[in-house]
Amino acid sequence: MRFIAGLAAVICAVNLVIGKTFAWLSLAIVAVCFTVVVQRYLFAISHVWMQDLYIWLNGAMFTAVAGFALLRDDHVRVDIFYRPAKMRTKALSDLLGVFLFLLPFTWVVYTYSMPFVQRAWGYHEASANVGGMPGLFILKTFIIAFAVMISLQGVAMAIRSILVLSGNAALVPKSIQYGPDRGPDHPQGAV
Amino acid sequence: QGNITWRMVTTWPKNFPGLGVGAQRLADRITAASGGRLTVQVYSAGELVPPLQALDAVIDGSAEMSHGAAYYWQNKSPALSFFTGVPYGMTTPELTAWIRFLGGQELWDEIYDQFGVQGFLSGNTGTQAGGWFRDELTSLEDLKGIRFRTPGLGGRVWEKLGATVTNMAAGEIFQALQSGTLDAAEFVGPYNDLALGFYQVAKNYYMPSFVESGLATELVVDKKKYQELPSDLQAIIRDVSQAEYDMVSSDFIANDPRALKTLVDDHGVIVRQFPDDIMEAGAKASVEVIEELRNSDDPLVKKTTESFIEALNLVRTRTEQIDAPYTAAREKYLKY
Amino acid sequence: MDPVTIGETLAALMFFGVIGFLLLGFPVAFTLAGVSLLFGSVGMAFGVFDPSNFGSLPSRYIGFMTNEVLVAVPLFIFMGVMLERSQIAEQLLLTMSKLFGNLRGGLGLSVILVGAMLAASTGVVGATVVTMGLISLPAMLRAGYDPKLATGVICASGTLGQIIPPSTVLIFMGDMLSGINSQVQMAKGNFAPVPVSVGDLFAGALLPGILLVSLYLMFVIFKAVTDPASCPATPVPPEEKGALLGEVFTALLPPLCLILAVLGSILGGIATPTEAASVGAVGAMLLAALRWRLTFSILRETVIATATITSMVFVILLGASVFSIVFRMMGGDNLVHEFLSNLPGGTLAAVAVVMIIMFFLGFILDTFEIIFIVIPITAPVLLAMDVDPVWLGVLVGVNLQTSFLTPPFGFALFYLRGVAPADLPTSAIYRGILPFVVLQIVAIAILFIFPGIVTWLPRLIAG
Ligand code: NA
Ligand code: NA
Repeated sequence: MRFIAGLAAVICAVNLVIGKTFAWLSLAIVAVCFTVVVQRYLFAISHVWMQDLYIWLNGAMFTAVAGFALLRDDHVRVDIFYRPAKMRTKALSDLLGVFLFLLPFTWVVYTYSMPFVQRAWGYHEASANVGGMPGLFILKTFIIAFAVMISLQGVAMAIRSILVLSGNAALVPKSIQYGPDRGPDHPQGAV
Repeated sequence: QGNITWRMVTTWPKNFPGLGVGAQRLADRITAASGGRLTVQVYSAGELVPPLQALDAVIDGSAEMSHGAAYYWQNKSPALSFFTGVPYGMTTPELTAWIRFLGGQELWDEIYDQFGVQGFLSGNTGTQAGGWFRDELTSLEDLKGIRFRTPGLGGRVWEKLGATVTNMAAGEIFQALQSGTLDAAEFVGPYNDLALGFYQVAKNYYMPSFVESGLATELVVDKKKYQELPSDLQAIIRDVSQAEYDMVSSDFIANDPRALKTLVDDHGVIVRQFPDDIMEAGAKASVEVIEELRNSDDPLVKKTTESFIEALNLVRTRTEQIDAPYTAAREKYLKY
Repeated sequence: MDPVTIGETLAALMFFGVIGFLLLGFPVAFTLAGVSLLFGSVGMAFGVFDPSNFGSLPSRYIGFMTNEVLVAVPLFIFMGVMLERSQIAEQLLLTMSKLFGNLRGGLGLSVILVGAMLAASTGVVGATVVTMGLISLPAMLRAGYDPKLATGVICASGTLGQIIPPSTVLIFMGDMLSGINSQVQMAKGNFAPVPVSVGDLFAGALLPGILLVSLYLMFVIFKAVTDPASCPATPVPPEEKGALLGEVFTALLPPLCLILAVLGSILGGIATPTEAASVGAVGAMLLAALRWRLTFSILRETVIATATITSMVFVILLGASVFSIVFRMMGGDNLVHEFLSNLPGGTLAAVAVVMIIMFFLGFILDTFEIIFIVIPITAPVLLAMDVDPVWLGVLVGVNLQTSFLTPPFGFALFYLRGVAPADLPTSAIYRGILPFVVLQIVAIAILFIFPGIVTWLPRLIAG
């Protein structure tokens, strides 16, 4: 049990670092897009690669941060029954969800995206726009990263469920412990 | 062997004049010619995948065919631009001759082999219109800083001429022109441009496009699945594409002038020719762009560029010595 | 049974199956995808689904990752979160309540007006409800407001962000509807369809947003007249009155200018929503900096909130893609087409049925799941019946704004519960929202009868 708890802790640590790092891309999106606007409207210059860049940064950001968002439980749930449920019930629901829904989904994404991504690497695919960004193959790789990070976090969730159901709730890594209602400090779900 | 259904994804909207219509007709003709043994189901732009992902859909096996233009995939190989058309490139009959008789198809096959697909010519828009400009152009100077919509290698040429170039999808051009985000835009030619309503916001219609002459469309098939077909079905796909290439070309030749007449007579559009210095600078910039491809590190790109230039230098002698004097004379002397 | 019937039956079962499985409480994005895969496997067993269709997943995903229109989403979220974290929203609320406090019902009116202003600066609903719940709810309760009225006003005004432009929901809707519209119109032989853009939807949503604000305001005024005890005045001490003018200039005017600049440049057709959003995000940072609040920790909170909210929404889109591939390739589209186009009552009946379905889905699902599932399968049919796409989009927007307010699963209710005093009964929140849900339905009915309220402004702007 300690071993799997440690594994979950490592997964969480990885997603925390990735999430907190890639979140800064949102500031980069603002900066690049604003620069494009200033260049276009004030100086009548434009660079196709910059127009690609801020769009791509969004793609990189939302895929890279997805595992971190799952860790923080930011992915919206229909929680009519889930929220008021006992911790064991939540653990059971999460366990089922990971194996029935999450892992099959990431497996399909991984399986069908791998050839697509490998091909892009094969010819170092660049933007379809002439004069655009190089490195589209790197952006495509984020689809794989997304599947992997989400799967790993799913495994961490499954471990949490197993620990809770086996009476070892105390071993669950702190960052993903089931708490009381999370209250107002994370008004994330509704956009 | 039972009946087969193939999925065709297109980069065009459904029923789009000339091109979308051609894709659907091509599919229907394969279905009919095979007596239903090979049914082709068309999914137009965005129905199954985003339009510019059509080729990937075939490579990844979620469709067996795609109908589009090879230059959309120039990021897979810059040489693919040649199989649609390049700045100051070939006219429709010249391009057809290069691909069918002067080594073009073989090079095209070699490029697409890397992706497990095969391309066939499937249509041609003919020489396109140069673009819709809000203001009249008097010289090359007028292009400085002008915001112009045009895609691909043609965009590079226009950049060299001093324009600020952006690419945007067909559906967005009208609004961008209207709001002033764009000063000018080109799309295809009268047949399509009339449909998209550009005449409402810009009245100066410049002819011809020196960056998009004789633009060909392609039919791409999954090569492995194609080769597994019985040989009569393979022949049907190949020959229907060839027949459709001519149908689409004639469609544009017949309907472009009709549309142009409507534009001029009913909508007050003024048809203009680009000033000579723009045409000349355009040629110089086009040579620079093509030379970059000739100097590519990729041997296949280099080889394709050289084959193209060699073929162009050959076929242009016929066009320039026989066709051009004839059309010039006809324009000058013939009256009905 | 013939394969077509098997496929269509499975597609229909999948639609209801998804809703059932979502009640398990597992994150929506993965439940959507997972359930679709389960039904896809059943379809494979019956030979009505070809798994090679999943080959289009990576193409779709890279399509979302390189979508120019959708980048506006993180930009607007950034702007909204920055305004909220740097307490600009809070200042706005305090100033506004002082301005209106002397009136009976004045606190309620100020909450509605601030809600509308914040709505015009962002699409982030949760943050607005929480901010107003933390600041205005205690003030209103202290002043002796009926808790039902106080909570209802806050929840309803807090969700205006979803419909008053800019709105993330309208961005996604605009992206979907413009594609669907051009496909449908061209298929019908109309090659010069009036284009639909996010900007058009923003323009179309402006008057309906103002309509909702007016309905809320009228309701509070009505309460103030008929039931004065429910919303007493809160006289502002005379010594604070002198400083009020200064506060108006520092707290109210700067964000107001930013909002006008951003919205004006979009509605005036000067800039695209994405471009305007980047200016808005930089403007929000500037406002924060002017108050010495652009600290590293606030910036870090803002980027993390922006990234995770954006990711949450886009990942639902990724999951919904799996749903739509399986649904479409099993023949679900035909089923929907036959159902909607054979309704007695024609086009309006079809729109009404779709609206009613969405309204009821809103009790258990959230806006994004609903639009990502329902719009792709119903909009092609409705637009082919000549429904105006902008009208449809805005109608759906107002309809789904209600989903934030309808128990048991209404985000606004949940967030307000989180910040409301513990002794305030949850039933007060549920009962308080009822009149506002009725007002929403009234608004939808008005827009249904007078579509010009939606279509007038976009047409005026387009000339
Ligand atoms: Na808003
Ligand atoms: Na709800």
